[in-house]
Amino acid sequence: MRALGLFCPVVLMIAACSTPFPPPIGSSHPDETAPRRGGTLHLASFADVRTLDPAVASDDLASAMFEEIFAGLVDYDAQARIVPDLARRFEVSPDGLTYRFFMREGVRFHDGSELTAADVKRSIERALHPTTPNPAASLYDTIAGFDAYTSGKAEHLDGVVVEGQYVVAIRLKETDSRFLSVLALHPLRPVCPSAGDRYKDTWEPCGAGPYKLVPGSWDRGRSLVLTRHTGYFVPGLPYIDSIEWTLSMNRAGELYAFEDGNIDLTHDLGDAELEALRADPRWARFVSAEPDRTVDGEVMNTEIPPFDNIEVRRAVASAIDRGQYHSYKPESLSPSGQALPPAVVGYDPHFVGQTYDYDAALAHMAKAGFPYDPATGKGGYPRAIPYLLVRQGATEYTAQILQQDLAKIGLRLELHLVNWPTFLSLAYTRGAVAMAAPGWAMDYPDPSDFFESLFSSKAIQGEQSSNTAFYRSARVDDLVERARHELDPVARLALFTEANHIVCDDAPWAFTDTRRFEDVAQPYVRGFKPHPVWTFYTATTWLDRPGSARRDALGFLWSHPAQSLHTAARARLSGRSW
Amino acid sequence: MRRLVTKLVWAAFVIWAVVSLTFLIDNVLPSDPARMVAGPQARPADVARIREQLGLGRPLLVQYGAFVTRLVHVGPWHSPSGDAAHATCAALGPIHIDLGKSYQQRRAVIDILAERLPRTAMLAIAAVIVQSLLGISTGVLSAWAHRRALDRVIVGLSLIGISTPTFILGLGLQYVLARQLRILPVDGFGHTPVEHVLGVLLPALTLGIYGAASYTRIVRDDMIGLLRLDYVRTARAKGATEPAVVLRHALRNALLPIVTMLGLDLGSLVGGAVVTETLFRWPGIGAASVAALLDRDGPLIVGTVLVTSTAIVLTNVVVDLLYGVLDPEARG
Repeated sequence: MRALGLFCPVVLMIAACSTPFPPPIGSSHPDETAPRRGGTLHLASFADVRTLDPAVASDDLASAMFEEIFAGLVDYDAQARIVPDLARRFEVSPDGLTYRFFMREGVRFHDGSELTAADVKRSIERALHPTTPNPAASLYDTIAGFDAYTSGKAEHLDGVVVEGQYVVAIRLKETDSRFLSVLALHPLRPVCPSAGDRYKDTWEPCGAGPYKLVPGSWDRGRSLVLTRHTGYFVPGLPYIDSIEWTLSMNRAGELYAFEDGNIDLTHDLGDAELEALRADPRWARFVSAEPDRTVDGEVMNTEIPPFDNIEVRRAVASAIDRGQYHSYKPESLSPSGQALPPAVVGYDPHFVGQTYDYDAALAHMAKAGFPYDPATGKGGYPRAIPYLLVRQGATEYTAQILQQDLAKIGLRLELHLVNWPTFLSLAYTRGAVAMAAPGWAMDYPDPSDFFESLFSSKAIQGEQSSNTAFYRSARVDDLVERARHELDPVARLALFTEANHIVCDDAPWAFTDTRRFEDVAQPYVRGFKPHPVWTFYTATTWLDRPGSARRDALGFLWSHPAQSLHTAARARLSGRSW
Repeated sequence: MRRLVTKLVWAAFVIWAVVSLTFLIDNVLPSDPARMVAGPQARPADVARIREQLGLGRPLLVQYGAFVTRLVHVGPWHSPSGDAAHATCAALGPIHIDLGKSYQQRRAVIDILAERLPRTAMLAIAAVIVQSLLGISTGVLSAWAHRRALDRVIVGLSLIGISTPTFILGLGLQYVLARQLRILPVDGFGHTPVEHVLGVLLPALTLGIYGAASYTRIVRDDMIGLLRLDYVRTARAKGATEPAVVLRHALRNALLPIVTMLGLDLGSLVGGAVVTETLFRWPGIGAASVAALLDRDGPLIVGTVLVTSTAIVLTNVVVDLLYGVLDPEARG
């Protein structure tokens, strides 16, 4: 009987999964209230931040913080359009080779110094210097003088020219229609003079964004605090006084903290919790989907049999029942049969692309020379096909769905589970893997990010090939190349549309779904709307929390433990239900 | 003294062998640390440049040679600040230990370990205290109540304790004590001494309960045998009270194997309680080693292995020496 006592925690834990969410903490004022200043926004993540230097970061979480700390010459607005930011305006020369930025005057860095055109040049040269471990430097390889500078042959980057205290011009060696899209990303954003002109490991992040890092507050792997930059160049913004991040949280801890109102905004909840929240009328309107930024698919190595045969690839693309993938994670996956996710400019929701058609799949197998008879189970491809997958995320489960779908057309998959580093190494190496599902998350909302990286033959390498299907199409190469130099946006999108159709037909990928995060905000987090490009964009967010509404949870209020203890004890004594 | 020197020389050899093996395994695994630094979607040219900057383009033997010569070397007594040649060293007088710089965090591995080791040591000591107090007391109780209901309950519970993985136990304790009863923090290390103590309780209980289960069984079995021996019977005949017989006469002898286990457990725990530290967001060596492995952060992997192997080997040496002191037969 007593032994049962030890099982109780496990039973309670399981019971917790079905426990409804507590009622949300409401806001203090009606919906139409004007934004108010003040308060602390509490955010959390299961991930950690490795660096806060925009020139060298590669992790997604850092990107969410960069948008708060660093401002750029241009940025993305709420419709993913490029808009001036530090620049008042910009102009592009008729030949498309020179971008001239007229900067705002009197913009202050977090350290109080004025941001001028010279700081822009210094920051760009710092980020692209050959000694800087910048994982995105090659995105800017069309800037004039890039090769000479990044190889150490030139002292300065010729293409970045200071034309006045507040005017900077960037010259390109060739037309590059995605240049503004990549310039709006974080790597080249101006950094304070304290950063110097060369990358240093020990530099304390400092920029001109709406929030600044509180010195000494970044406790690696645990937490960091941002505070409002009082000299921010957009009048009246931001509204929130400070943002406190808790890092490396586990799922259970983050869920508890959100339920208690100790995390104000999250996108780490699992599908089970999201389903419960959406089904709860008190919570449903506080769950909002970020745009789908990731495209998933089964990548077939076009250099390895049987996928060197286009008909086999088409058979795979037709044999996958995408609805089953969706039913596994209905809150975060949407079935899709094309190369672009909805967050990308030019995404066509009416284009169907690849679809499930079992009879067509069997016909393609017959055309490929591997006819399969479902009634007898005879025929098909005679050998097992190794399929590489990583033991995390959805692929562990979707791989089994794929295995069953392909067995029905005579393709036998052999699943090889590996860890993430091994997966990355093998999937990107020529001749190493017949089939895998690496997916691709949007770096910037332009089709070139997907087509240049995944389907251009220029992206094929012996090792570290981002074109993991090792797919070659002269027509797609031509379309991608022309799109890079095409300055007319309509004509450019037409080129990518054609490329999308070809890729869907040639099927180096069997596209399966697009993926997104779901943001859940406490009702008192006002003015927050998922941004099409940035995670947790909070410059226009404000807090409207009732003063006494905080539900104390001892485990989270580390900044005031005595107060937490006191409040917890008082609440327990008064029998208050949390 | 000679025995001690021999043991220390062997200890140094074992540590060197383990660290070298780790270096080798980490470098021959099919993965690219430069890719892990650059991110899964970095362009090939950027990955190649980062690989070059990290020195990963050199032949493995050259990399190993550079590592070994830097691991322990002679340097200045006081390195001036900004001395790039010794920026990642820990100096013990003129003897410098250099584990390089973490690929991912871009900080000296020595600094990361120095920051995390005291936290892991705190957790290890707290866990060992819990497991020894709990394990020994329940073992004694069980032996004293041999074949009675209490004995059966304790044996049953210890069996469950041994069989329950720490992450299940930890999640359960977290749910009951932190979430439902709210008497302990859910996770974290905190910022003040009071918060550190509050924060260590749940992970220490998790590790302690798990470890105590085996102590219970060992103490119980030893005590049952000892309580039947002649000298115990003599003590009873001379009128010693039952608590005195159990605690003063039998328990003292039953503790010898526990001392050995305690030392070994302490060594392992100082090396990092990988699952528990991660579960409770305890920023120690265990959590660092998990992150380093997932990131293929070679220098940090080697650093955490060095700490783990040193802790285990040295506690072994101490236990060996202590055993000689406690047990006259072993001394002979």
